[in-house]
Amino acid sequence: MWSTNRLTKAGVGAMATALVASTAFAATAVAQDRSINVAIVGNPQMEDIASLTPQLFTEETGIEVNYVILEEQTLREIVTRDVGAGGEQFDVVMIGMFEAPQFGRNGWLVDLNEFAEGDEEYMLDDIIPAVRNGLSYEGGLYAAPFYAESSFVMYRKDVLDEAGIEMPREPTWDEVAEIARTIDSDDMSGICLRGKPGWGDLGGPLGTVINTFGATWWLAGENDTIGEAQVDQPEFAEAVNFWVDLLDDAGQEDASNASYNECTQQMLNSNAAMWYDATVAAANLEADDSPIKGKLDYALAPTKLTDSAGWLWAWALAIPQNAPDKETAWEYISWATGPEYLAVAGDLLPGGWATVPPGTRVSLYENPKYQEAAASFADIYLEAMQKAPIDMPGLQERPGLPGIQFVGVAQFQDVGTRCTEQISGAIAGNVSVDDALAACDAIASEVEGEEW
Amino acid sequence: MTTNTEPQSSDRAAAERAAAIAEFQRKDKWRRRLPLLPALLFTIVVTQIPFLFNIWFSLQDWKIVPPRGPDFTGLENFTEGYSNTFFLDAVGISIGMTTAAVLLSLLVGTGLALLLDRQFFGRGIARTLLITPFLIMPVVAGLLWKNQIFSATFGVVNAVIEPLGFDAIPFVERYPFWAIVTVLVWQWSPFMMLIILAGLQGQPTDILEAARVDRASGRGIFTQITLPMLRPYMELGIVLGAIYLLQVFDHIDVMTGGGPGSTNVPYFVYQRSIGGGWDFGQAAAYSIIVVIATIIIATIALRVLSSLFQRQETA
Repeated sequence: MWSTNRLTKAGVGAMATALVASTAFAATAVAQDRSINVAIVGNPQMEDIASLTPQLFTEETGIEVNYVILEEQTLREIVTRDVGAGGEQFDVVMIGMFEAPQFGRNGWLVDLNEFAEGDEEYMLDDIIPAVRNGLSYEGGLYAAPFYAESSFVMYRKDVLDEAGIEMPREPTWDEVAEIARTIDSDDMSGICLRGKPGWGDLGGPLGTVINTFGATWWLAGENDTIGEAQVDQPEFAEAVNFWVDLLDDAGQEDASNASYNECTQQMLNSNAAMWYDATVAAANLEADDSPIKGKLDYALAPTKLTDSAGWLWAWALAIPQNAPDKETAWEYISWATGPEYLAVAGDLLPGGWATVPPGTRVSLYENPKYQEAAASFADIYLEAMQKAPIDMPGLQERPGLPGIQFVGVAQFQDVGTRCTEQISGAIAGNVSVDDALAACDAIASEVEGEEW
Repeated sequence: MTTNTEPQSSDRAAAERAAAIAEFQRKDKWRRRLPLLPALLFTIVVTQIPFLFNIWFSLQDWKIVPPRGPDFTGLENFTEGYSNTFFLDAVGISIGMTTAAVLLSLLVGTGLALLLDRQFFGRGIARTLLITPFLIMPVVAGLLWKNQIFSATFGVVNAVIEPLGFDAIPFVERYPFWAIVTVLVWQWSPFMMLIILAGLQGQPTDILEAARVDRASGRGIFTQITLPMLRPYMELGIVLGAIYLLQVFDHIDVMTGGGPGSTNVPYFVYQRSIGGGWDFGQAAAYSIIVVIATIIIATIALRVLSSLFQRQETA
């Protein structure tokens, strides 16, 4: 075996390495100030704040923010897993109006009212009531809104004028479909619509169409359970067929792969003439560096059988119950969602004042710089949000917590994603719409009678 | 000179010696195995204990979203899962995808190996370039093919066929299964090629020379001498390829994100657990069904069909 001499040398060497390593570790630990881990979704407004954080936040407070920027589905997975299992990985997580009340109900998040009500600078009452309510559960505010949105139609005024067509301010889906088919051409598709699988991707806009066509996913059951699946109803099929046919006739290329980011690109590159999607898209399409700035006009979300159809959504920041440093987490949240950021960001962002995160605070809409830059869409943006039918999205009672483009039950994530996978397959032309709906019915029926 | 007593005592002595030898051999076996115990214990702890947990979870009704359980339900997850159409679809896709990818990459790999078997200018460079696809990360390979080659808007293939008058074909959306198989074949052909190449270069040259002297045609040499000799190598390639290709996940996740035509069993189990279903009991049950099925198939394949083990026993 080894001689005692070699053994001693090896032992000393190992100890020395361990010592050096541990001192290096300790040194780095001491050199850092406070730092927090924040998980956010990779949308333009979030990327903006991530790039402005060192200059506007870290310099002032000494808190280093480690952003984990993820794509929407991945973010949801990771956040649900971490928050649901009591993980300590993140101090702040970004969640939406779907998760906030549910996670609050499950007891997974810290009630932010405790922090916000004592913080005068935060101006809690400045937040638009509909948004604040959408993120609350039984009086507790479980996430602070970063930006909020509804949905509407964005269209190229110049293209429609050239074709001699006028878009009413409150159109019906039939009118929009006809306009799209008329102006569709080889270079520029008539309309861009989402087709990517995911309850938050295709499921969002399609959900509003389902509502306004008089259909729904499930009826409300008794005692907080999910009722009968309504996917097999003719109205549901009508809505899905409408969407698939419109994409087929006048939609963009690679439709089954397109979501918010893809359609943004299509619009910016003038490859699509119209787009039905989140109102926040206007912020990017009207940015200072947008090639189509000033060429767009807007119409409210198209309807069929209901008075209004726009959705209501907010991306918001929350603190998990087991977050290691809640005080620092709140300091960050109060800056990121507070009035101060909205007041200064516009001058620093490459896209200008139009790209500031919209829809959360009344003070932003009273800011003259914002009013000027967002003149073309600020009013209709607020109108869309106010008209969002949060109390009765369609023609029937739904189970779960309030929601327009989703059903406020936890099972909707799974059912919505698997169903939209099937429908996306129909958009791609792999399966017929009837087969896709049959599969979707099987999926939705699996959770009938379950508690939510 | 023999005496009558000698056979008796020599018998007893022989018996005692035999007993002593047996005792020594038994202890010796244990002495040889002892150093292996730590590794064995480690393997058991790391693989079998989680497996036991998995079996326990599969007997529970346990969902994270909405929070429910864990409550003991016995074999309910198995009976439900066994007949679930989506699970059976996934099984079909798994089998189809693995078979197609293994066989096609074996075919392409053998072809490439035959081409590389002869000496030519630039052979080293050609071999290196051919091995490269295997070294690329699966996620990168999937995205590369999806966005740069297959895409209807940006892809190379459509950029070539569109000016020729054809409509752009969104390959990944229209043919998800074959798009994924294509990427798998692209990545795994080098693997098969290396194995077959080793086999080709191990051919006894004197037999080949004798065949050529007897004026056997090239094709004859190939089908009658080379192919049978390559059989164990091909089997090895199939076994190893199947083991890995059954577990394909990355390509499916980045190229199609699941969906009706391209969800195989690993992806399905992921979807049922942390990929959106959050039903840990059910996902555990599915994975155990897969383990049982795999053991059955693998036992049949390796013991009955394969000649690999037979060669070992005669050696």
